[in-house]
Amino acid sequence: MATVVAARPGLRARAFGDPALAVTVGALWLLLALFVLYPLAMLLARVFVDQGHLSMAGLAAIVGDRHQIAAFRNSLVLGALVGVVGTVLGFVFAFAATRCRLPRVLVRLIDVAVLLPLVSPPFTTAIGYIFSFGPRGLVTHGLLGIKGVSVYGLTSTMTAEALTYFPIAYLALRPMLAAIDSNIEGMALSLGASRARVFSTVTLPLCTPGIANAFLLLFAASLADFATPLILAGNQFPVLPTQAYLQITGLFDLRGGAVLSLLLLVPALVVFLLQRYWVERRHYVTITGKGAGQAPFDSVTPAVRVALLAVCAAVTLMILYLYALLAYASLVVAFGANDSFTLAHYRVVFTEGLRAVRDTLVIAAIATPVGGFYGVLVGYVVARRRFPGRTAMELTSMINYALPGTIVGIGYLIAFNDPPIVLTGTALIIVACYVFRYGATGIRTTIALLSQIDRSLEEASQGLGAKSGTTFRRVTLPLILPAFFAGLGVVFIRSMTAISATIFLVSIGWTLVTVKILENLTELALGPAAAFSVLVVAIVFVVIFAIGKVLRRLRAPGRSDVTGLLAT
Amino acid sequence: MARAPSIGVRVDGLSKRFTHNVKGDVYAARDVSIDVAPGEFVTLLGPSGCGKTTTLRMIAGFETPDAGRIAFGGQDVTHQPANERGIGFVFQNYALFPHLPVFENVAYGLRVRGQAEAGIARDVAAVLERVGLAGYEPQFPAQLSGGEQQRVALARAIVIRPRVLLFDEPLSNLDAKLRVQMRNEIRELQRGLGISAIYVTHDQEEAMAVSDRIAVMQAGSIAQVGSAEDLYHRPASRFVAQFIGRANLVPARIERVAREVVEVAALGARFALPNPDGRLATGQAVRLLLRPESIRLASAAGESGGVAATIVARTFLGEKTEYVVACGGETLEVTGHDSNTRGLAPGTSVVLHIDEHAAFVLGDE
Repeated sequence: MATVVAARPGLRARAFGDPALAVTVGALWLLLALFVLYPLAMLLARVFVDQGHLSMAGLAAIVGDRHQIAAFRNSLVLGALVGVVGTVLGFVFAFAATRCRLPRVLVRLIDVAVLLPLVSPPFTTAIGYIFSFGPRGLVTHGLLGIKGVSVYGLTSTMTAEALTYFPIAYLALRPMLAAIDSNIEGMALSLGASRARVFSTVTLPLCTPGIANAFLLLFAASLADFATPLILAGNQFPVLPTQAYLQITGLFDLRGGAVLSLLLLVPALVVFLLQRYWVERRHYVTITGKGAGQAPFDSVTPAVRVALLAVCAAVTLMILYLYALLAYASLVVAFGANDSFTLAHYRVVFTEGLRAVRDTLVIAAIATPVGGFYGVLVGYVVARRRFPGRTAMELTSMINYALPGTIVGIGYLIAFNDPPIVLTGTALIIVACYVFRYGATGIRTTIALLSQIDRSLEEASQGLGAKSGTTFRRVTLPLILPAFFAGLGVVFIRSMTAISATIFLVSIGWTLVTVKILENLTELALGPAAAFSVLVVAIVFVVIFAIGKVLRRLRAPGRSDVTGLLAT
Repeated sequence: MARAPSIGVRVDGLSKRFTHNVKGDVYAARDVSIDVAPGEFVTLLGPSGCGKTTTLRMIAGFETPDAGRIAFGGQDVTHQPANERGIGFVFQNYALFPHLPVFENVAYGLRVRGQAEAGIARDVAAVLERVGLAGYEPQFPAQLSGGEQQRVALARAIVIRPRVLLFDEPLSNLDAKLRVQMRNEIRELQRGLGISAIYVTHDQEEAMAVSDRIAVMQAGSIAQVGSAEDLYHRPASRFVAQFIGRANLVPARIERVAREVVEVAALGARFALPNPDGRLATGQAVRLLLRPESIRLASAAGESGGVAATIVARTFLGEKTEYVVACGGETLEVTGHDSNTRGLAPGTSVVLHIDEHAAFVLGDE
């Protein structure tokens, strides 16, 4: 009866029967309209409306510009390359973790190495890359003695992004590989297929939807990435998010920036639709609970095993090396020139940088509980209550999350700069941006958790005489608490590390650490930039472990951890 | 626990439509009417998808019927929300609150009713004693076995002294032995409490074991309501005959109709049966219902009379032996209990003696 829904009349009767629900739904729609639909509409209006008339002039001006078209093409090429390289790396890691019978310690080590780029500010790898391969880099300058090397361009950007985002592919593919019943592979082997044949005819086909999904996730992440190209792409390799930023901050051309961000929307939308209507329908692997985990036979020959582990080790070491460089650079006077120890960069962080740190923490401290609550509320209403426009609400609540940050940021900038609603220069605009962008993770976790909790639990409470409010408070809420804490974690981490949307929203009154890091980089104050980055990574790690502790204590029926959520 | 006066349940013309994404509108329940007398135990029995669970959920108030009325003890509850109906519901998956210990699970309904703490402690202790779970109060559901979870669900449903007890396939997650034990306990508990019960299952043996009356459902409608004996010996349709027990339905023809007796030609022989109702006419094509145990099997050697047949297959099951026999183009199932059927291997010629009092004539739909 899973494919059966209640007929219309009952649906309507219930929607108007519960005043508390009507008020909640009304309030949520108001907020979604204000902070999701209105900015997007204003962005579109800025592009297509000129002095009260529909006009293609703005669009034509940008599309006719060879430089901007190159940026569009570059974005697609970069996204595709990062998608391929990152998916391959993610698959190798996931395959090694599930099929190579690694000792537990080694799997843990992989998990931590993978966690690093995932929770760091998006440009941390890029900074480490500069320290290694830049003009004064350890490898290029220190070891090879090359002078005047140019690190900027496609290769560097692609490498840094692949290292930053391949964990997303790893986290998407690993459960998929683990869920394949090893008996299926054992069966193929027993029928006489070689290991290579089992892999190519059974394992790989079963993973195809997952691989496609991983590719799309990485493509979208690269497309939306603003910070890495800003640092590493250079003038010769413009991409859309940086072009949009420069158009607005450099040329004060809000409309041009809006058009460029809108170009970004096209591939982002294609990816979104492919994921929703193609990939999600092709999942053959169902988790049975049996057969998951370590394979009962040797899926790989010893030689292949060594090769896989070598790749994993190399990538892991590369990541650790880049982060070590970052830490090192934060503690020396001038990286590559004067290697004497100093705490001066941290002194900068805690004196003139203190405002940014304080602002970031204040904004995170407000956005985190609000975003966590918002996520649980929308998730509950959408998953458990029936009312007209339910699916529309779910989709709307995902828009800001699915869109590249550049679009969201520019949309907010346009919408809230002029009356009727002026929010620019306030902390509220940044908080709202975080809540409606990253609260979406809490929504999805809540929906996922509720789908595992049988509706009969709530019916049992109702049957025992409890009203809907009592049922929510005493049964539903305790059960979705893990989703709440996971949602809190994600909003907090993103509040500390995000930049692509909020770079447009900072002001003299309210600024962010991530923006400060970028400023330092452009002023070539690499030491303070490194010190800020180390601080952010440290704070984020502390919070992740604290939330992990809470989640373990809750002994929740559904497993959910913050790391996994960051990847989706 | 004090015994409250029993009330009955009246379900009148209940219908519920669902919108299926392939088949369009489908009736999950269509004009379902049942009367449950005070203290009676009625089972809704039928194959999966027959609408029995939907009917039960409408009686509970978890679904709203599109048409029809439900009354508890003469009081119309059709539009009353589930939390005001005073029901005790036992779910198939028990639906125990995983975050609450056994005590709090059972106390839940009492707390909702605002009962005082001392009363709650007393009632919970009494009901846990009654289901044999005294001392389990601090345990969490995940620490209990399936049978123990089932008992907690039962205790939670009855501790609130419900007006009506509703069971949705409560035993389907238990192993076979426990299922038999629990169904007896449920029946005993319900009798002791004197609360009317409606019980949903797809297992005909379970239904026969617990119920005063059984309502057999088919495709959203009630096919027949009656005692287990009625349904078994006097089914209203071929569906009921085949769903309750095993049935041989042999093509037959009415030869002669008298007031008390009908003569039927089947399997190349003539049988005189009790006349089930007055609607049979001479020459009418019908089906003769022969239960496997109402046919006696004997070796053809040295037997006179009976219907000639040949053994096709034989399955020894200990207390009994199941045979498949071929007889004039028909294949029949026969249960052999006698020691004299021991040597009947496939291929042996046998004669069938049919107990005419246990046979029944059904219309040939």
